[in-house]
Amino acid sequence: MIRPIWEYITGLFDVHLDFGPEFGGIRGRVQAIKPMVLDRWIMPPFGWIKINTDGSAMGAPGNSACGGIFRDCKGAADLAQLQATMQAIELACSSIQMHVNPAAAEATLLSLSQSPRPYHACQFILENSQLANARFQAAGAIRDAAIREWALLEAADRRGLISFCLCFIMNNANSPEGYVLVKVASVAAQLLKRGWPDFTAAEKDAFFLEVKEAVNGSHGLDVQFVGINFLESLVSEFSPSTSTAMGLPREFHEQCRISLEQDYMKAFYCWVQYAAFNVSSRIIEAHSEIPEVKVCSAALRLMIQILNWDFRGKNAVENLKRGIDVFYDGMKQENSSLRRSECIFVQPGHAWHDMLISSGHVGWLLNFYTALRQKFSCEGYWLDCPLAVSARKLIVQFCSVTGVIFPSDGGHMQRQHLLQLLAGIVQWMEPPDAVAKAIKSGKSESELLDGCRALMSVATVTTPVVFNELLKNLRPYGTLTLLSALMCEVSKDLMENRTDDETWSWVARDILLDTWTTLLMQLDGSGHNNSLPPEGISAAANVFALIVDSGLKAASASVLSDGDEYDFLQASVTAMDERLNSYALIGRASIGATIPLLTERFSERVMRLHQGKGISDPTETLEELYSLLLITGHILADEGQGETPLVPKEIESSYTNIMEVDKHPVVILSGSIIRFAEQSLDPEMRTSFFSPRLMEAVVWFLARWSSTYLMPPERSGENKSSYENCNETQHSTNALLSFCGENNQGKVVLDIIIRISLSTLLSYPGEKDLQALTCYQLLHGLVKRRNIISHLVTLDSWRDLANAFANERVFFSLNAAHQRSLAQTLTLSTSGMKTPEASNQYIHNLTSHMTASLVELSSKNDLKTIAQQPDIILLVSCLLERLRGVARASEPRTQKAIYQMGFSVMNPVLIFLQAYKDESIVVYLLLKFVTDWVDGQIIYLEAQETAAVVDFCMRLLQLYSSNNIGKISISLSNTLRTGADAEKYKDLRALLQLLSSLCSKDLVDFASEPIEAYGTSISQVVYMGLHIVTPLITLDLLKYPKLCHSYFSLLSHMLEVYPEIIAQLNVEAFRHILATLDFGLHHQDVEVVDLCLRAVKALASHHYKDSGAGKVGLGSHATSYKEPDGKFHEGILGRFLRSLLQLLLFEDYSTDLVSSAADALLPLILCEQSVYQNLANELIEMQVIPTFRSRLTNALQSLISSNNLSSTLDRINHQRFRKNLHSFLIEVRGFLRMFVLRGHCYGSGCFLAARLGWQHGSVASIDVKQACPSSIRPTLAGFGLNGPVLNGLAILEPNPNPSGLRAKWATIGL
Amino acid sequence: MSDEEHQFESKADAGASKTYPQQAGTIRKNGHIVIKGRPCKVVEVSTSKTGKHGHAKCHFVAIDIFNGKKLEDIVPSSHNCDVPHVNRTDYQLIDISEDGFVSLLTENGNTKDDLRLPTDESLLSQCRTYVFHRIQIKDGFEQGKDLVVSVMSAMGEEQICALKDIGPKN
Repeated sequence: MIRPIWEYITGLFDVHLDFGPEFGGIRGRVQAIKPMVLDRWIMPPFGWIKINTDGSAMGAPGNSACGGIFRDCKGAADLAQLQATMQAIELACSSIQMHVNPAAAEATLLSLSQSPRPYHACQFILENSQLANARFQAAGAIRDAAIREWALLEAADRRGLISFCLCFIMNNANSPEGYVLVKVASVAAQLLKRGWPDFTAAEKDAFFLEVKEAVNGSHGLDVQFVGINFLESLVSEFSPSTSTAMGLPREFHEQCRISLEQDYMKAFYCWVQYAAFNVSSRIIEAHSEIPEVKVCSAALRLMIQILNWDFRGKNAVENLKRGIDVFYDGMKQENSSLRRSECIFVQPGHAWHDMLISSGHVGWLLNFYTALRQKFSCEGYWLDCPLAVSARKLIVQFCSVTGVIFPSDGGHMQRQHLLQLLAGIVQWMEPPDAVAKAIKSGKSESELLDGCRALMSVATVTTPVVFNELLKNLRPYGTLTLLSALMCEVSKDLMENRTDDETWSWVARDILLDTWTTLLMQLDGSGHNNSLPPEGISAAANVFALIVDSGLKAASASVLSDGDEYDFLQASVTAMDERLNSYALIGRASIGATIPLLTERFSERVMRLHQGKGISDPTETLEELYSLLLITGHILADEGQGETPLVPKEIESSYTNIMEVDKHPVVILSGSIIRFAEQSLDPEMRTSFFSPRLMEAVVWFLARWSSTYLMPPERSGENKSSYENCNETQHSTNALLSFCGENNQGKVVLDIIIRISLSTLLSYPGEKDLQALTCYQLLHGLVKRRNIISHLVTLDSWRDLANAFANERVFFSLNAAHQRSLAQTLTLSTSGMKTPEASNQYIHNLTSHMTASLVELSSKNDLKTIAQQPDIILLVSCLLERLRGVARASEPRTQKAIYQMGFSVMNPVLIFLQAYKDESIVVYLLLKFVTDWVDGQIIYLEAQETAAVVDFCMRLLQLYSSNNIGKISISLSNTLRTGADAEKYKDLRALLQLLSSLCSKDLVDFASEPIEAYGTSISQVVYMGLHIVTPLITLDLLKYPKLCHSYFSLLSHMLEVYPEIIAQLNVEAFRHILATLDFGLHHQDVEVVDLCLRAVKALASHHYKDSGAGKVGLGSHATSYKEPDGKFHEGILGRFLRSLLQLLLFEDYSTDLVSSAADALLPLILCEQSVYQNLANELIEMQVIPTFRSRLTNALQSLISSNNLSSTLDRINHQRFRKNLHSFLIEVRGFLRMFVLRGHCYGSGCFLAARLGWQHGSVASIDVKQACPSSIRPTLAGFGLNGPVLNGLAILEPNPNPSGLRAKWATIGL
Repeated sequence: MSDEEHQFESKADAGASKTYPQQAGTIRKNGHIVIKGRPCKVVEVSTSKTGKHGHAKCHFVAIDIFNGKKLEDIVPSSHNCDVPHVNRTDYQLIDISEDGFVSLLTENGNTKDDLRLPTDESLLSQCRTYVFHRIQIKDGFEQGKDLVVSVMSAMGEEQICALKDIGPKN
């Protein structure tokens, strides 16, 4: 019987051919038919030649090919074959370099690292290849293969690989190709980490003994250097942020980290310190560059790296005992330290005290650097040579040492330590003016910058007072004075050269500003006033004056540079804001000097403006005023961020002696600015001075200022009790606050502000940015405050604004979004009215025009023709935006009027939806309006109203769906087509939001009678809605993350709350929902997967509970059945069980998902016991190796039985099952995934051999014409084999092997 | 007869204003605008200023709704722009000829035969698959009964812009 060849060429079989001495009679036999998971290649008996083959096809019919390797009993260790492999790899490497057919070369390289056990070949290449690149690739292949096959390697092999790598780097330490050594060192480090938990302490010590000797320098400088390099890669490999994932859980990395920190870190430091110490003395003695420099800078780098280590000390061990919490804990720590600044604390713990602090290590380092400085004139040393850079970095690093390493002696020891450091550092930047001059004349700025960084580190670990005192021990002035002197130099330089390039002064300014911020933020946080010493205050005052003046100068200089800076506006605005914030901190630190300074500068500029009126170009002054307004705003008030900001502490606590309102400096300053702003109301002044940009600053300032000072809420409570103590403070604050209080100037100022806003809206047509500021910041901020609203509604100017908005056409030319915001603001202000009736009436008046015109328009007979006119579109969209704004401001007391408003336009909305079905903008507005309106209203609605709203929503959904389903847009432009997709996405998102808000009716309901009274069931309605919407949601649309998210959150919510109703959906809708769930399960976004898992859990739990109680559960959906044509349909739960297990065992996912997966898996298993058993058996069958098979069997068993798991679905049981699943995955995932990988690697190994064989001659290549059956289409197709197609089954080419072996491969028949 | 009807219709169309003035600041993304005499759809609006203390201007990037070409324009935001009157009409699809011309049924029972599907090869094949797919999957398909063609017209030009299935599904 002759079988088709492809049944053999699958890689599953070993085909033995016996050539015998006579070469004539070829006997062939198939040795074994077994799954391909052979543990390793087994050599054939003597006299036999073994062929391993594999094949693949790209499609059927399609290109297909196969290959095979012939090996005798000497097997793979054949020297010739190793040679051949080496040649192939070298060829590939050089062809990549020359860019000749890189894809094929890459495939060859890849196949080396993916072939099973390539270690011999790789070691052979490493030792023998002349090509450095080939050695590099071989090292990489060792790493890839070893990490993959780690679990299968014998302990001796593992150790062997690591020692091979270590020996290799030591023996080749003097090799010129440093990158190969670095690669091999990092491979050794990774392998060592991979096996870290398994190696005994003695084994580790054996590895490190070698390293230690190398680092000590007993084998020469080169070896010393590579030893240090190895430690460097080891430390970075063990540090979580720089480690390679290696497909292992975080626990593993964490354990390694802790173990290294506890047992070895100090020893490493000790070794390199010793090494550095030894070579440094030789460096200082020598007069030119010597090889020791390289070693020394490597040692310093390693020391920096070790100090950078994220030390956890004893905490870590305790945390680990508690379990997974350790990561959470770590995250929290990071967050809290992030806030401070970019400076990282070095907290090695008290165990390091003797080594770092008391051993004179710092002294040595400083002396060494001082000695280095003197050598900068010598050849081979300069200010930026790597050695000097590392030394400085290390010194800066030492400045941030803090924590328990210092004994608790009140900080004495730490001060000594810092003082020692500062004594060395201060030389780098003193005197500041001379240093700055030197830099300008060409000296490198790096010493100065590092000095600034050191100051920042010191500032981070100390308090301002200590910081200042430190330098006083050495100099007649304090550190703050030095800081301010430095800042002055930097600002001067900034003023002199205004270039766009980042110069040293930019960098220095940012560092110094951060230093100030660090110091001053501490004051802020601790709440102690005046803890900045007097010297510091005057220093801050100097700095601030300089900042203001340099800011003004920069402003006037920048006027003419129009530039393209607009592109970067967003980024630069944030950067600018940050900078202004730190300026404000400095300014507030010396508030006594700051306010008068600002007042003076401001009035000076205003005066200049008036004097120059009509004579000179005011632009420069305008820009100066602009920047003054910004800085003043930052000084006077904080950003509210949603809360009412208080008067800044510094302002509150100064000027305690001023009782009279009019003389309070802050009042004077604010008053002058407001008077200036008021001038903008005069049309003539407006056109000549108030440019849109200046107006932006004015509006921004008013918004910021008014949220703090305008009609501040009465302070009561805690202040009254402490009234006695801070009598004086209270008076002055009162003086400050009463200026714009409700009874004083408040109303007047408020009136001015409103009139200014009205004029910005009306008199600056098309200035979107300005109007946005007015609408969103100024007006919106005002109506958020109760005190203000009640006065606001009584003002004439406010009434004017409302009237103009409702009636004047000019408001339609505002940006639509701004109109929405205005409508919202006006509606919100009604809460200041005395009675609810008044508010409702007010809203009615406001909206009646708009609703009336919408109704009128919709009832026009020729709507269909006029609707498409641009002016009508504009009108409709503006009106809708306004109504939406009103709807968003829904509050209980105005609910009635807003409901009426929406109710009256229900019909028009539907008519417009039909008329504008192709005008996506209007459709979107309609949907958004309805969504916002329903969202604001639904919980207050009475049963009857609910019924009306729900009915309206359903009609809306149906209409939208019938307009859009099955529609494709044809446009020549790609952009327009994707644009259409994006529009659809936004629409659907709005619809989903609408459904979600309908859902909330079931949770929160303020109606007087239950809604069921009118036969409305929210769950029914939402399912109906889902039914309408889901066909519109294609899997393509689900690629929009937000839509995906809202869809799945709605779906999982519905399934969790009303699982019973889903069973009532028809088959098609049900299937669609399930298809999307399946899609969601394989989504990349963790949150989406989590939502889907919750949905699956809800489904399965519902079915389990229901069927337990004897009800239908999911009914026919859950049961599996056979169709008449014999097709087997698995029940949905079984399908989910299968795909979930598949996901958990074989695919990549975030570990955060395991818990929710467990929650979904448990009910699935309980529902489908038999499916689970089948799946388990399948899994076990796949394993051929007995140990793994038994391990898997046990694990599967204990998954469903250990921890007293019962068959209920209560909380405790879920918790138990979570634990079980965690341990199950840890137990089996490693080797299960291994075989999936190996399964397809096995083939590529053969492929590699086939590829190599063309050169070597011991391998045949065979092309097969027939399309292979699908069972043998492994991933190999990706290699794109393509060759001449031969007829028939298979022919072996005449073999040019020198031994003269000629063979014909006949058909293999049995 | 049908031709005459047709001319009458287009005359009426020509009589109506083809464009409307609208302040540049109010034109939004996804809205329409006339640039260089072509009706376009705006895909991007950004604002900038003429000099630091000057007035705002809008920068439009738009795509010609008929030929898909990209056009750009800068207009002071308080000035007026022309906005085209873009009309869309639905017709029932009767037939598609070999050369891509379609035969459409107008509301008053006449046919309109002067439009063709896009000449772009991939788009054309997409349309054909769409149409034939609909035809195949429905038993007893009467020609064009449940396929609607949406035709966009602006400034004297016409083009098919969408196909839609109004089958008995909903």
